[in-house]
Amino acid sequence: MNVFEEVKKALCKASAGLDESKVVSGALLKDDLDIDSLDLVEVAMTLEDTFNLTLPEDEMENIRTVGDIVSVIEARLKVQSA
Amino acid sequence: MLNRVVVTGYGAVTPLGLNVDDTWRNLVAGVSGVGYISLFDATDFKVKIAAEVKDFDPAAHLDPTAARRNDRFAQFALVAGIQAIDAAGLKVDDANRYDIGVLIGSGVGGLDSLTQQLDVLKTRGPTRVSPFLVPMMIADSASSQVSIKMGIMGANFGLISACATGTDALGIAYKMIKWGEIKAMVAGGADAAVTPVGFAGFTQAGALSRNNEPQKASRPFDMERDGFVVGEGAAVLVLENLDYARSRGASIIAEIVGYGATSDAFHITQPLENGEAAAKAIELALAGVDCKKVGYINAHGTSTPLNDASETKAIKKAFGDRAYKIPISSAKSMLGHMMGAAGAIEAVVCCKVINEGIIPPTVNLEHPDPECDLDYVPNVARDGDVRIAISNSFGFGGHNSVIAIGRYDGQ
Repeated sequence: MNVFEEVKKALCKASAGLDESKVVSGALLKDDLDIDSLDLVEVAMTLEDTFNLTLPEDEMENIRTVGDIVSVIEARLKVQSA
Repeated sequence: MLNRVVVTGYGAVTPLGLNVDDTWRNLVAGVSGVGYISLFDATDFKVKIAAEVKDFDPAAHLDPTAARRNDRFAQFALVAGIQAIDAAGLKVDDANRYDIGVLIGSGVGGLDSLTQQLDVLKTRGPTRVSPFLVPMMIADSASSQVSIKMGIMGANFGLISACATGTDALGIAYKMIKWGEIKAMVAGGADAAVTPVGFAGFTQAGALSRNNEPQKASRPFDMERDGFVVGEGAAVLVLENLDYARSRGASIIAEIVGYGATSDAFHITQPLENGEAAAKAIELALAGVDCKKVGYINAHGTSTPLNDASETKAIKKAFGDRAYKIPISSAKSMLGHMMGAAGAIEAVVCCKVINEGIIPPTVNLEHPDPECDLDYVPNVARDGDVRIAISNSFGFGGHNSVIAIGRYDGQ
């Protein structure tokens, strides 16, 4: 599964009307995509279901960009497969 | 100095239309908004009918996020609130945003969101409960969402008094303006209680009509009435300080001339049988006006055996022999009981009666009850020249709330 594509899907699901072309790795969730803290919880829940993993709250708190989400998931996937 | 308070706009989402004009046209025509429940599977329920808002597509009225992130009751409130503000021609800007407030009450708030997430909690555990549960469930979200959408920064809160909520919201908004605390209030009520748990609860409490012939079930003041029909929707009015309304050239619909509220201090669901406290609320609402000018009463008229009899007694107590000469009608005979929104839509009806000179009927009044022997405008609308109208609202908890609305005399 392509992690970035799944993150993009989750963001678009959480924020109806989000312009997909704006969802790039460096995009700031709050300033560029208007994703607030509540939206982010929903995004995390969707991704946890998609990848069947648990995203640690402390790591989610530091997330600022789309790429940050991708990194956290990739790191968890590595831990799980190890 | 006390200020005069006027109505300058209104909006509504009801079982008879997605705006005030359609709702009014259907009320005058005696159309019933009651039908079989479509919002959930009522197969196992004793009561299978409700007055649902039909063909309401939130995405057609609201931006996608607002449509998805609001419970149905708050969606109704947003749509009705925006209609009201538009109709009032009230432009919210930096010069006035702190002079305007919002007070849209709700009887049960986001009951559907709460029960859906309760299912999630039980089946999938606490980490799967939506972060939007609380913002969607809280009853004050109706007011807050209107404030956020319109940039209104004055007082913003909710208010709960069960089926009297809409009238109390208007009454408190009226007092805030009268006392000079604020220039304008966007006020009303909203509810969406056609949910399985809500229905089960009301049914178990014995409050609902068991008549499964939808259009005949809500029959206020009729001998064969056996309970109310749950309705849903929202109605919102813009109330303003008269001077403020004039200064901005607003067109004035009617004037709020009084508000009274009392408590039965008796029982959580039953009204006080002799109507004493309800009569007192009517008297308080009319304290500042000539009660001989009252030409229409929009009854609470729920179609429960107890309410309609005790309300009749209350009206007689308040008006004496003149009670027999005042046309009374129950919009709930057609709209069902819109719960927290009922008082607000019924205030809109009073404004319409005053301005249009037409009194909508009480439908299904086929077998008069000797205990209910006033003029309930049975089945067919009638012309009427009404100077002052009152709207009665009573609620579980013993709330008796009455608002008095007068024709604006242009001075």
